[in-house]
Amino acid sequence: MASLAHRFSYVARSSARLCYGSAVPRAACASIVSSRRALISCSQPTRWTKAVRVCSPTPGLCRKYGDLPPLTLQNIEDRVMYVLKLYDKISPDTLQTSSHFMKDLGLDSLDQVEIIMAMEDEFGFEIPDAEAEKLMTPAEVVQYIADKKDVYD
Amino acid sequence: MAATSKAQVLSLYRLLLKESKAFPSYNYRTYALRRVRDAFRENQGVEDPKAVEQLLQKARENLDIIRRQVSIGKMYAAQRTVVESTQKKFV
Repeated sequence: MASLAHRFSYVARSSARLCYGSAVPRAACASIVSSRRALISCSQPTRWTKAVRVCSPTPGLCRKYGDLPPLTLQNIEDRVMYVLKLYDKISPDTLQTSSHFMKDLGLDSLDQVEIIMAMEDEFGFEIPDAEAEKLMTPAEVVQYIADKKDVYD
Repeated sequence: MAATSKAQVLSLYRLLLKESKAFPSYNYRTYALRRVRDAFRENQGVEDPKAVEQLLQKARENLDIIRRQVSIGKMYAAQRTVVESTQKKFV
């Protein structure tokens, strides 16, 4: 019983520390004294409050926004080249920003359609047919995406 | 192949791939994508305008079928298979 009383005083102390100035938690604890079972169930949250108290809220508490890094010409180009390297009919060694899909890389119009669709997936917007068929080199794709996404420099 | 017909073929190819990607079920999705790609490659060399027109008609019918099956698939979504359990979005 002595150890129980000790534990109770700890509960009271820690809850008082948690809720400054408010009489409510202390009153709640006082009502707990009457029944031993309630006291034991109260010791469970104590461990929890203790854990909360240990980690101080200030450091590391910053808001993290779920957004991609801002688009620049350089990182558009990196992403375009990355998508192209993953395309199975293009060998990464021969790929240049200026290489023509059909003349230099030996692809056909069906492959070109698939590449443009892969770009749509990567950048999350739709490229209309009329413009898609004009994009024939990685450099043109980069330029088109930069124009659409308002990236200039 | 005439220029208009070429544009038509490419735009149908695009549409078919795009609609096929919407299948909620992994098996149907991968099958549809593979089948569309293979069918277009298989008939790449067809020059006869009549044959091309027939194939285009077939593609249009299949596009309708794919659209219908995608919406039916969405109504009756089944449990995901093991291979796609970590995948969050349908690309």
